[in-house]
Amino acid sequence: MSVEALHEPQPAPGAPPPALPDSAGITLKSSEFRRTREAGWRDLERLIDAAEKRGIRALAPDDLQRLPLLYRAALSSLSVARAIALDRNLLLYLENLSLRAFFVVYGPRSSMLEGCARFLRTDFPAAVRAARLHLLLAVVAMAVGAAVGFALTVRDEAWFSTLVPAPLAGGRGPESTRASLLAQEIFAPWPGFGVALGIMANFLFSHNTLVGILTFSFGLAAGVPTILLLAYQGLMIGAFVALHYNRDLTVDFLGWTAIHGVTEIGAILLCGAAGLVLADKMLFPDRYSRVDSLARHGRRAAEIALGAVLMFFLAAILEGVFRQLINNTPGRFAVAAVTAIGWFIYFARPFGRRR
Amino acid sequence: MSSVDAATRVLRGRARATREIVTPEGVTLSVELAQHGERATAFMIDLFFWFCGSLLLFLTFMVLVVRGWVSIFAVSILLFISFIIRNFYFIHFELAWRGMTPGKRIVGIRVIDRHGGPLLPSAIVARNFTREIEMFIPLGILLSASGAGPIPWERLMLAIWLLSFVALIFVNRDRMRAGDLIAGTIVIALPRQRLLDDLVERQASFVFTDRQLRAYGAFELQVLEDLLRRPDGPGVPLILGEVCGKICRKIDWREPVAEADRLRFLRDFYTAQRAFLEREQLFGRKRADKHDTAGDGRQ
Repeated sequence: MSVEALHEPQPAPGAPPPALPDSAGITLKSSEFRRTREAGWRDLERLIDAAEKRGIRALAPDDLQRLPLLYRAALSSLSVARAIALDRNLLLYLENLSLRAFFVVYGPRSSMLEGCARFLRTDFPAAVRAARLHLLLAVVAMAVGAAVGFALTVRDEAWFSTLVPAPLAGGRGPESTRASLLAQEIFAPWPGFGVALGIMANFLFSHNTLVGILTFSFGLAAGVPTILLLAYQGLMIGAFVALHYNRDLTVDFLGWTAIHGVTEIGAILLCGAAGLVLADKMLFPDRYSRVDSLARHGRRAAEIALGAVLMFFLAAILEGVFRQLINNTPGRFAVAAVTAIGWFIYFARPFGRRR
Repeated sequence: MSSVDAATRVLRGRARATREIVTPEGVTLSVELAQHGERATAFMIDLFFWFCGSLLLFLTFMVLVVRGWVSIFAVSILLFISFIIRNFYFIHFELAWRGMTPGKRIVGIRVIDRHGGPLLPSAIVARNFTREIEMFIPLGILLSASGAGPIPWERLMLAIWLLSFVALIFVNRDRMRAGDLIAGTIVIALPRQRLLDDLVERQASFVFTDRQLRAYGAFELQVLEDLLRRPDGPGVPLILGEVCGKICRKIDWREPVAEADRLRFLRDFYTAQRAFLEREQLFGRKRADKHDTAGDGRQ
């Protein structure tokens, strides 16, 4: 059945009988119009009812083929009716029908599994690549913070307590000795599967995830808090490194951190980059309105943030399980190197096709 | 569409806020924004389903896998399971049901692209994931009263955070929450409209002159249409009589209309009036209502 055929008046099963030849009566163009097209509308309505109730897969192949044709015919009917008809019920019906058909015809096509696979395979790395300048800025902010934190704390350890809040310090501080750090922190005994699972499950509510999410969301506040939060994270990292540097534990501490830190700090940086994308597109909307600009790029930013939360989850597994299982520094560095190379290949795609 | 809108405003009392989208075919369609109450109701229904699902899975998990240990790990695992379920729930249904979750479907609202483009999976992911940021994760942290939680000023900030996101829906014109803003979507109500019988009478027993038909415009015609479509009720004959009298006075209809003929008279008048106005409209003389001089043809 061709498009033309649908526009032609055609007697269909169930259509009202042709008009009686009336001499005294009045013929309205809009009534005639309705009489000839109504069968097509009813047909479309039936298809949409079925698609809304049982999903588009419930339609027979033949019906699926007719659906877009009937939809276009309904749209053209609506345009004609707006020009020639004053029947309110008819106009409202056609508009409603077109709208419902529009949502069926232009609805999302993929299932969730396809969507997830697509997200992981192409969308997330592509979004990160598109935000590489923002990522660079986030890295710089954190690196500057780390350098300052290190420089301050390495000379005067009182800075450590100032920079790192007590719950995060977890008993570590200027009064810690080399032996206590080694025993309670870096090579602490494996606490058992239960605690490890607890840490893993707790990832969502851990400090770092919270920081990551705040970093992203503060992009909506023109990005200044994002930069400050990133720099502050750097300050704390710098302070921790300095504390261990003064006790000649730098290498062991870096191993202890890097095994999950590569992933976790990477995730925080990505959240920061996503926040900066939001800020960038809001401050400099180019030729769009601010709201439109945000909508155009906000999806990308949200994709990065979503991917970052998945990275936090991976980091929590590395932290809760692998760090305790691998109780030596070279092993930890090896895992850290594997994750770093893995993330690089995943995001930068040095091999293979780029999208 | 202005006459339809005007008639709707009178007939339905307070009309809903509408926005226009343009389909890829270039036709403008007007959509009705969902009201705050509808969205809240839909969200509550979804939360209820989510809560039941999470609780069920959590109980199974606790009974089957880790009989025994409770305390902080139980809470963490519950939060974790609920996180997974609610994201799967919202994203899955909005993808599979084209912008509707069970709650939205019950209430009769759905998510659409703000400009009428296709609703992309990335938009659905973005708007639902932002829900995590604007609501669930801050709420989770606020409610998980574990000792190792964040320090108080962070909690205060989170509370302000939550409130400002709730306020956002009320201060913007399109009732978008942060997720809608980022994903470029709006939430609309889509009540179903049925096609009723055509009111046009083929055999006219009353005949009107063009001069008489010029008394009214499209707006009055559509209000009359609504009256004629009203199902029979106790008050309807009374209104019909009143309207009939008013029209007769307005158009100088001298002969009295018998009570049994009133409906017939009104339907004939509707038919003649519609035929007249539609013909005038075809000639480019649209007449919106009785105060409109554009269709007079005398200027």
